[in-house]
Amino acid sequence: MEKPLDQPMDRPTERPPECPSKPPVGCGVDKGSLPGPCGSLAFPFVPMQEPNPVRYSRMEALQTGTLFPGLDLPFKAAIQSKTQMSNTALAELMALDFAVDELGLYLTTHADDKEVLQLYWTYIKLAREGREKYQKLYGPLLQTDLTPEDGYVWLKDPWPWEKGGNT
Amino acid sequence: MFIYEKKLQYPVKIKNTNPKLASVIISQYGGPDGELGASLRYLSQRYSMPYPELKGLLTDIGTEELGHLEMIGAIVHQLTRNLTEDQIRTAGFDTYFVDRTAGVYPTAASGFPYSAASMAVKGDLIADLTEDLAAEQKARVTYDNILRLSDDPDVNDVIKFLRAREVVHFQRFGEGLRLAKDRMNEKNVYFINPSFDQ
Repeated sequence: MEKPLDQPMDRPTERPPECPSKPPVGCGVDKGSLPGPCGSLAFPFVPMQEPNPVRYSRMEALQTGTLFPGLDLPFKAAIQSKTQMSNTALAELMALDFAVDELGLYLTTHADDKEVLQLYWTYIKLAREGREKYQKLYGPLLQTDLTPEDGYVWLKDPWPWEKGGNT
Repeated sequence: MFIYEKKLQYPVKIKNTNPKLASVIISQYGGPDGELGASLRYLSQRYSMPYPELKGLLTDIGTEELGHLEMIGAIVHQLTRNLTEDQIRTAGFDTYFVDRTAGVYPTAASGFPYSAASMAVKGDLIADLTEDLAAEQKARVTYDNILRLSDDPDVNDVIKFLRAREVVHFQRFGEGLRLAKDRMNEKNVYFINPSFDQ
């Protein structure tokens, strides 16, 4: 049965505007995606970094502290020219391992990003080569990366917290 | 388990000693918002996390923070090598020196020894991740303050790197929270505690 129009209890209150659909992907290098313009109350939202983000080169990344320009947010007291990384097997390996670390963290929250997963694998292979190269010159990086001919070289100075262990 | 790799994540090569600066930087070794607290917090929180992304995130970031602890130790060590008696007396380093000489001890710059009371493991996914967001901000501010106090470019180079990592970690913890929320009750995210309830 049709209800009369002037019964207050049946008249719906003004409908709230519908939350529009998600904004288009492509928020820009320094922005990420939110769950549309509407999100649950009483919950902290950090925007998701978007898939396949713009990246620095691995040496730039090491010098900056992040592979991603979008996350490069320096403090005013620290804006100065970047120290030049030395051109050594150690610096090369540090840059490769850093890229692997950084991409690993990204993939933990972006497991579906197939392009970055491929890049991750590429860096892992390069880091293996970098490790071989470094160890031939300077000795083992892991306790188990030695052969008995040269003695128990794991103990060899310098150690990483000494200045000489960082050239 | 933990295996040690015999290199730092980022090089630490400090040319000039500076015990006064060391006595401030030590706060990132054993202070309330330092790397020891960060690694212990994340590595402890991971046990009660229900989702693999969060177990991975806390394990990986916790491990990285141990590497940062090592870097801070290296900075303090290099800043306090071969000190003269005059340096020790005049640099405001004497109260640390008397008990620790030039050893590296987990304490805040105030002299307050490292305390786990500065961190929390609440056993609730949302509370723990929100704590982690705050922890990364506090660490970032501490690094900002060190940059204000230091004019040694060798030191600042490393501090800038460590500070940048805190910003990235903040982003990842935030993303972890988003992923967790997507799996939780859509209408009421506080209905149960997925870290405990079945």
